[in-house]
Amino acid sequence: MSDLLHFQVDAASGVPAYRQLMDQVRYYVASGALAPGDKLPSIRSLAKRMHLNPTTITKAYSELQHLGVVVNEQGKGVFVADRVASLSEDQRFAELRRLATGFASAARQLGATPEEASRALRVEMERLEPAPE
Amino acid sequence: MEPAIIETRGLTKSFDGISAVDDLDLTIRGGCAYGLIGRNGAGKTTTLRLLMALLRPDSGSARVLGVNLWTAPASIRERVTYVSQDQNLYAWMTSRELQHYASHLYSRWDARYADHLARQFSLPLDVPVGVLSGGEKRKAAILIALAARPDVIVLDEPAAGLDPVARRELIDALVEVLTDRPDSTLLFSSHIISDLERIVDHVGMMDRGRMLLSGEVDELKTRMRRLQLIFEGDHPPPGFRLPGAIRLEIDGPVVSAIVRAEDESEFAGLEDRYGARLHMFPLGLEEIFIEMASATRDGRVQEEEVVS
Repeated sequence: MSDLLHFQVDAASGVPAYRQLMDQVRYYVASGALAPGDKLPSIRSLAKRMHLNPTTITKAYSELQHLGVVVNEQGKGVFVADRVASLSEDQRFAELRRLATGFASAARQLGATPEEASRALRVEMERLEPAPE
Repeated sequence: MEPAIIETRGLTKSFDGISAVDDLDLTIRGGCAYGLIGRNGAGKTTTLRLLMALLRPDSGSARVLGVNLWTAPASIRERVTYVSQDQNLYAWMTSRELQHYASHLYSRWDARYADHLARQFSLPLDVPVGVLSGGEKRKAAILIALAARPDVIVLDEPAAGLDPVARRELIDALVEVLTDRPDSTLLFSSHIISDLERIVDHVGMMDRGRMLLSGEVDELKTRMRRLQLIFEGDHPPPGFRLPGAIRLEIDGPVVSAIVRAEDESEFAGLEDRYGARLHMFPLGLEEIFIEMASATRDGRVQEEEVVS
């Protein structure tokens, strides 16, 4: 399943490659493209497919594990966690702000009001699978 | 921490009184993929040649695998391979003959891997190397450097003169090395950052023979930002200072700056601290290099800052 997903990073970007990869995995998890229990591509195969240093993949996977998004089962591989481990409200808000930075500046450049930008965000969030409860 | 596999201390070399490498300290640890970047004439090639003992330093030291390669026994030297910009391969030999020849020079020569690389590089094996294109010659030389299964691989401008497909083939071969032999250390120089940025985990930025900035790529990217502060009113408050700024421009109430923070978390508090609207943009390696080089030329930052 996860072998069909497209992963891509822009190495020239100022956002470290491992963070771009983390964001993509989290996006796929949030959108339901990756379901709990799904196996992520192996480090070796992803490094080859993405033409990236394998340490970048290792770093992304271990940060994702730290955040509770994936679990690493020794010898078997890396899997999407059953339930995304809960962050504290502060942690979650800090993370959301980080993710929103790019969106916010793009919205401003388009001349959008915060209300318009929030509406676009709401529409996109509603398109995603319902949050597990 | 891994031991230093490549290390220079106070390395200095000049040619006819013109300084090429000036008091250079460089440390590369085992398992690193290190990109030495800088403009043409920054001293990258001279540094590599000093490390490979193809040149003698005026002063200072250059060590690879803990030893000076001038005096190292063959058993150490064969663990280090080097591909220069102008490959001096025997023009009359075919690539197949060159590989056969190299297999006698390197005790760890891996013939199966050499075949695999030749296929991966689509390298013609049975024509004299002298008639190959520049890109093919380079691939023939890189093949030998990799199939010797060294601990340290040093490549001078490996991507220069390669077309985009050949560059991708090279990167894929290096990704394979990094995956299959994670202990090997890779050092290459480049004046273009783009493609090789996919595989480097550490960079050293050289300018005029000196190290401008070195460190872990992710660390550099998370600690440097272009930012814009927009104050209420006509100008920033009196006494306004922006710590860590290596470039700062003020245009009415708008402050544009390049900032290098001690820690990424410093950026989070900026908005509240100044009560101004803040926009922040990440910087790629190329932009970091350009900003650091111009700031250093203007004497705005100290040279030889090390981040990791």
